[in-house]
Amino acid sequence: MASTFLLVFKRFIFLVLLQVLIFNKFDLFGIYDPYICLVFILTFPVKTSKISFMVVAFAFGFTLDLFSNSLGLNTTACLTVAYLRSYIMSFIFGGFFDPLGLKLIKNYVSDSSFSQKILYVSSIILIHHFILFSLEAFSLKHMPTVMHKTLITYLLSGFFCTTLIYIMIGNEK
Amino acid sequence: MQQFIDFIIRKKNVLVYFLLLSISLSLIFKTNFFQKSKIIIFSNSTANYFNEMFNNLNGYFNLKRVNSELANENLFLKNQLENIINKKQLDSLDNAIFKYQNAKVISNSLSSLKNYLIIDKGLKHGLENEMGIISSKGIVGIINNTTKNYSSVMSVLNVDTKINAKVKRTSHFGTLEWDGLSSENLLLNDIPETAEIKVGDSIITGGMSLIFPEGINIGVVSEIIKKKNRKDTITNFVINDQVKIAKIQFKENYLNIVVKLHTDMNNLNIVYVIESLNKEEFKNIKK
Repeated sequence: MASTFLLVFKRFIFLVLLQVLIFNKFDLFGIYDPYICLVFILTFPVKTSKISFMVVAFAFGFTLDLFSNSLGLNTTACLTVAYLRSYIMSFIFGGFFDPLGLKLIKNYVSDSSFSQKILYVSSIILIHHFILFSLEAFSLKHMPTVMHKTLITYLLSGFFCTTLIYIMIGNEK
Repeated sequence: MQQFIDFIIRKKNVLVYFLLLSISLSLIFKTNFFQKSKIIIFSNSTANYFNEMFNNLNGYFNLKRVNSELANENLFLKNQLENIINKKQLDSLDNAIFKYQNAKVISNSLSSLKNYLIIDKGLKHGLENEMGIISSKGIVGIINNTTKNYSSVMSVLNVDTKINAKVKRTSHFGTLEWDGLSSENLLLNDIPETAEIKVGDSIITGGMSLIFPEGINIGVVSEIIKKKNRKDTITNFVINDQVKIAKIQFKENYLNIVVKLHTDMNNLNIVYVIESLNKEEFKNIKK
């Protein structure tokens, strides 16, 4: 338990700093920032209880908001994704998913098929971005812009998140 | 009672989710509970402090570019001064209507749909809401919030910003808006099709408000899109005691003009705050 706590704590600090210091200043093609912070939600240990997962995700989003002057936006998006993650996982991985968390994220990476991995990463990123951008715009008038931005940022975030997961998944305990 | 406790235990995940969700939503919409709360002040000051620290470090890398920009602007102003000295006698009647102050940008976002800048001057330096911000090349935004030491500026790259602008050559007025898809282009709407706008025309501020003086550079026309809005209206006419239905076709054709900004919003460092000295008088007559 202590090692899980330490792992989550280290990732929390590392990913917040990575997002705030480097990826928020990215501005690819002028206006698109990849959201690498979603690696935190994607690789959160499955065995922790859902309530503590949601509380930690809430704190994670709130910390991101503190540094990027957008109070509440990241918090809501991260919290909702954290709440939906177990449903998404059981839907995509099917019988392979165990809610008790005996399997590590490492096992999901090595043992599931390619399309399952793509679906899992895509659905979480798409939901997060859609909530984030639509809350930000907060009007139906800007819906086409929101969809456009969600799709392009999804491609960027998907690429960076997948790369980072493959790099950092080795040290999971 | 037992059933109620059972219900809470069974649905605890959902209940915790909705509790946290309501907290985060009230943070976004800044409801009464959080309106004057310490959290928002703390969040703003953390973000500002953090950004200022980072900006100080980053500032050194831009020094060369900023230097050349300032030298160019100096040259331009010197030429203008020469013109004024040669042509005009100084007169106490034409007082300045606008006053300028310089400020430094400490944080600048581009990736959001509602982008804001933070500048390092605030109430202490006499800044207020609805003051215009320009850079040496063109407009940047409008102040929407001030604290003691900092001000937040609604950038032109914000889907809510609407700026009155005109085409320099033909003097047609329009509204400048952002579509949220590119950091270089804005859209100029409400210009009728009859206006003969060409690619390459320059767009300047219209001077319809006291936020920006007239004639500040915004950008050049880079593309013209013809938008057709046909409105069919059905109207009843009474002719010789007979009701006739007539279909009238209105043609309301407006141009959608894509304007390429002069200001490079990616690289903002030193900006100028425009303070209108006649603001009180203007407000009084508007009442």
